[in-house]
Amino acid sequence: MTTSPMTPQPNPRPIRLARRLALAGTVALAGAAISVGARSPAPRPDPWWQAGEGRAFPEQIDYPNKEGSLRTLLAGAPLKTRGHPFFEPLGSNGRACVTCHQPADSMSLSAASAQRQWERTGGKDPLFAAIDGSNCPTLPQDRRESHSLLLDKGLFRIERPWPVKQFNGEPAMPDFTIEVVRDPTGCNSGQYGPAAGRISVYRRPRPVANMKYLLATGFPFDPKQGHALPLDPDDGKMQSGNLMSDNRAGNLRIQMEDAAAGHLQMAGKLTPAQISQIRDFELRIYSAQQADRFGQDVSALGAEGGPKKLRDSQPGALGSIGKPVWSEYAAWEKIAPEEASRLTPAQLAFRQSVARGARVFREKTFLIFDSAGITTQVGFGNPVRNSCVFCHNMSQMGNDVAPGQVDLGTTTLPFADPRSDLPLFRITCLKAPHPYYGRVIYTYDPGFALTSGKCADVGKITLQSLRGLSARAPYFSNGLARDLRGIVDYYERRYSIGYTEQEKQDLVNLMSVL
Amino acid sequence: MKTIAFALAALAPAQAMAQQTGELVSFIACPVYRDTDSGRKSGCWLADDVTSGSRYDVSQSPYKPDWSFEVLVEGRISAEAPTACGGTVLGPVRTSRLTTPCTRHILPAEEFKGRKYVLPRRNNDPLGAPRPVATGPFTDRTFTTYFEFGRDFIIYQYDDWLLDQAANWIRQARPKKLVVTGFAATDPVEISGRTLAEPAALAEDRAEVIARSLRRLVPGIPVETAWQTGAKPVAEPEADGLPAQSQRRAEIRALF
Repeated sequence: MTTSPMTPQPNPRPIRLARRLALAGTVALAGAAISVGARSPAPRPDPWWQAGEGRAFPEQIDYPNKEGSLRTLLAGAPLKTRGHPFFEPLGSNGRACVTCHQPADSMSLSAASAQRQWERTGGKDPLFAAIDGSNCPTLPQDRRESHSLLLDKGLFRIERPWPVKQFNGEPAMPDFTIEVVRDPTGCNSGQYGPAAGRISVYRRPRPVANMKYLLATGFPFDPKQGHALPLDPDDGKMQSGNLMSDNRAGNLRIQMEDAAAGHLQMAGKLTPAQISQIRDFELRIYSAQQADRFGQDVSALGAEGGPKKLRDSQPGALGSIGKPVWSEYAAWEKIAPEEASRLTPAQLAFRQSVARGARVFREKTFLIFDSAGITTQVGFGNPVRNSCVFCHNMSQMGNDVAPGQVDLGTTTLPFADPRSDLPLFRITCLKAPHPYYGRVIYTYDPGFALTSGKCADVGKITLQSLRGLSARAPYFSNGLARDLRGIVDYYERRYSIGYTEQEKQDLVNLMSVL
Repeated sequence: MKTIAFALAALAPAQAMAQQTGELVSFIACPVYRDTDSGRKSGCWLADDVTSGSRYDVSQSPYKPDWSFEVLVEGRISAEAPTACGGTVLGPVRTSRLTTPCTRHILPAEEFKGRKYVLPRRNNDPLGAPRPVATGPFTDRTFTTYFEFGRDFIIYQYDDWLLDQAANWIRQARPKKLVVTGFAATDPVEISGRTLAEPAALAEDRAEVIARSLRRLVPGIPVETAWQTGAKPVAEPEADGLPAQSQRRAEIRALF
């Protein structure tokens, strides 16, 4: 079964009302179709998945984006979403998991989708729930500016306890203090903030797709933290440490419970059956770009782009000792003349650029320095010469085979770009100073340090998948890169890589087809 | 610049000849990074012994320097020519990062190519790869892991490999319990005019770090810890013949 999207229609907030209106909308659309005759295209499903709408999830679904189109595969059979806990509102705010993990956005949420929902519903969609879909619950919720971080940067408010709790839920005595330097959202003062035991940071939702790769463990050790991988409290297996940006949840059950209580404002607990249903769905979803900006299939001419390859491959392989990362596009390095003749010059040039981009990603080395998790205690030294694939090293996915908590500087001064829209915290290390930032650190988001309680972990954010990027701008955990070029430009600023303009464009083109 | 580089390189063998291959050297220095580019991880690490005026190539340490901090260099003079990086080659060698800040210094590659990266011997296979089959009868056995000076961190492509070897054997041998003893080199030594000694608490920290990983690697087998200060050198092959490295260790005793 395959479906395609249509022009968005408004979705009012209350669920029951939404269903009635959806029915009314269907009737109206049908009427419109009759009035304009048979030449009108058949109505196509809305790209926005409303909580509780009951649409069936097909085995394959394509959604257009400005770089081409994204394909999402559901391994196995189509899913009836009516009554399914991923798709039904479980809490008081009318949201479901799907509200913030939209299939059209590669199971994440783009800022563009948030903006569209705001326009369609006048800000009444459950997406904009005060709890975390606004800059702070204390703000007037009917104003756009109260939701500016979600609308402009795709950021949700994430509330973390202070003092911190570790990945296993155990409290930890942090080796640093935290103070609020600036609080533009108002959610780190008064009833919020460290003094109230509730730290607000703002982060992009991570894609709930291609999950077997994020759960895969390639080796028994975490070289960044210097210990064997922790064991899952539910099944005793080693944990990947790659689920959450701050590694606060080591398995899907803990992540679900965290999300249900927080994002969905669910009063009770998820039942084992609900957890099982959500896990089953999440392990069946694969999402990746399927067509490029010319509408050409990215799995054509010998290439292996798209989600099918993801679905059918074994997860957890290290690209440097197996299938090189992004070698899916190696066939485009040498396109046969007879095949090239069937492409326009622009199409041919684009494919060659993608193939070059894959090589630049793997082979263009630069000095990586002052990046905790990479250049600290692991043993590589500071600096170390390597390429993008040093950290984005898992075949097919480009996430880290090891737990991916590294500090690229995206959230922490002086490397982070200046941001007036985010809270700024001052961290003071109580024991050893941070090796690069010193004793006092200024950060927009302490990241992994809010889980580990260690000042050495300030600014570390878990690497994520590079798949489906075209469907889910902006990028990095705090949305600092508004587009794919912004990602490349950040790395160029951060590490003085010396990319040529051609190399930058090649990387952008590569990322656009992932 | 090239002339100077060649002159330094030409001098290096003379220094090496003055020192016997295999001779032990130890000193404290601010590291210098030479940005050679023969692919990933191909950069060189150099360290100058201010006492002798000699420049050493310390790139082959399993734990490499940080250009912002002093390093304690411990190594043996290698027979390798100083052509890769431009310094008398130390191998085996260790470079422990100290806390004293250094002025960062980076050299261009000049005429030096560095070394192409090759996977070290102590490199873990992926989890899915088969591990060696241990053959019985199984009796009490001791495994050893090693640490950087002043630290308790499990070093990638060194300790993790040693621990994986131990865990693989323990998993098959199923001893009654494991006793992890951490050691710290607390006896003061004079190096480069400085007195160095590890803190006594580090012995316990090392034992606990190894024990925590063992509880994850071989769940179900009781793990006890002990610690000992004033560590003396031991002749263990994986310390690579470096006495100071062998002092900074943790021993895992599998008891039946």
